Amino acid sequence: MIWRIVIVLFLLFMLGPILLVVLFSFGSNALIGFPMGSLTFAWYRELLGDSGFFDAFQTSIVVALATAILSTITGTLAAMGLMRLTPRPARTVLAALSLPVLLPPLVVAIAIVVLFVRGLGVGLGLPVVILGHVLVAQPFVILIVMARLARFDTASLDAARDLGATRWQAFRLVMLPQIASALVGAALVSAAISLDDFIIASFTIGGGNTVSTFVWGKMRTTLDPSINAIATVLLVMTIGLSALALRLARYRE
Amino acid sequence: MKRGAVALLSPAGAVFAAVFAIPAVMLFVVSFWSVRSFKLSPDVSLAAWQRFFTEYWDLTLYTLLIGISTGVLCTVLGFIFAYAARFRAGRHGDLLMLATLVTLFGGYLVKIYAWKSILGADGLLNQALMLTGLTDAPLAFLIYSRSAVIIALVHFLLPFAILPIYASLRNVSDISLEAARDLGASTTQLLTRVILPQIQAGLFSAFAFSFLLAAGDYVTPMLLGGTSGSMLGQFVLLEFSTRFNWPAGSAMSFGLLLACFVVLGAAGYLMRMALRPRPA
Repeated sequence: MIWRIVIVLFLLFMLGPILLVVLFSFGSNALIGFPMGSLTFAWYRELLGDSGFFDAFQTSIVVALATAILSTITGTLAAMGLMRLTPRPARTVLAALSLPVLLPPLVVAIAIVVLFVRGLGVGLGLPVVILGHVLVAQPFVILIVMARLARFDTASLDAARDLGATRWQAFRLVMLPQIASALVGAALVSAAISLDDFIIASFTIGGGNTVSTFVWGKMRTTLDPSINAIATVLLVMTIGLSALALRLARYRE
Repeated sequence: MKRGAVALLSPAGAVFAAVFAIPAVMLFVVSFWSVRSFKLSPDVSLAAWQRFFTEYWDLTLYTLLIGISTGVLCTVLGFIFAYAARFRAGRHGDLLMLATLVTLFGGYLVKIYAWKSILGADGLLNQALMLTGLTDAPLAFLIYSRSAVIIALVHFLLPFAILPIYASLRNVSDISLEAARDLGASTTQLLTRVILPQIQAGLFSAFAFSFLLAAGDYVTPMLLGGTSGSMLGQFVLLEFSTRFNWPAGSAMSFGLLLACFVVLGAAGYLMRMALRPRPA
């Protein structure tokens, strides 16, 4: 009984604030507060007509897609590489590659800006945002793919090679189909990480907006009620992606 | 064999080098540069570090304090929740973990915005307090304070603490628990001598994650901290943007990281001491 109360309190604390935002995105009152006014879709309609939001949305999709594809490639290859190492060096390399996730994104973002602007003299922009997102997404891909590869029977690869398959054919025709769902899961998690990031994007984008930096602009100026609607859209996307990823990768941790 | 591994690791390594390792080294070098009338010049100067140690040491301590409070709260709460999901929720354990993932992906800015709406002067909490007659005027101290920052950070980072603790709790076998119980262990003994020592690694990752990310945050204090809840990250940003003092910002970044690693070392040591095997 006491545990039931504890769990309910936890869920209230964790999900309550998020649910409030969703709830109020359908309320006619401008600010979060009761009474919330009548049911309305006005904020969503306003978003549809807002070209600034539309551009930001498009940019976010492009960045998330590119991040998903690139980090899945780099992360999967790295996971395969790590499986070939002995446990000790593998752990060290994995720890190093995971470091960017542990450090404050502010520091990571500033370091990128310092190098690209001062060191290389190249400008900022979407390619830099994407690289930054790949950097923080690839450790998650590595973890997911390594968990899958640990259960993969390498004997089937040896069998394929014995039967005359090239290395590429063995990978493409034997290994890939078996680990495909984990890869898709990893890609979806990467996309969700990319969509959710604000700090790296805000430093490295140069001009323009992702959805996160667009929301930031609104948060800073006024308490704009359309934030609730944008937040709900974003929430549905990231949670949808990660729920799908969870199903596909059957990866709980 | 080895060679193949290096080739496979190289794309990820290239990204790591290009947008993390090389930039980090460069950032460190910049912390020794000097800046005069908004112009940056390569130099060997300790001015930025001096500035960090003289002007920002108290803010660094406050920042660490907020980080430690958040880390401890997240680890304790994360353990309680993960324990419930693993041992007390039965079939609903997976559902609790799904709720954790929803919170994790709930949107970084969205969560801060939500807390601003809850804790603000005309926010939900004040409305509720006034409606129930507990107060007759809005409580101004709910928002723009250190506690507001800590509440929002705990909300944001709790999933980061729950996940590693839950992962290590799943590896605690029911057999070891039954054995301990059969041998007459009390619930407290079961917790402190059987469960906690087995999940030390998970507890430490939980603390490390939530502490590091809290101590390095600047958006939460910016929107919820007011003046009393400021954190170093905000001033790193300030030095980089408005003041255009990159060396100071760099020195502060590395100074904060250094201080964080000291805290982590101490936390790891304390945890090992607290959970070391003892004679009955």
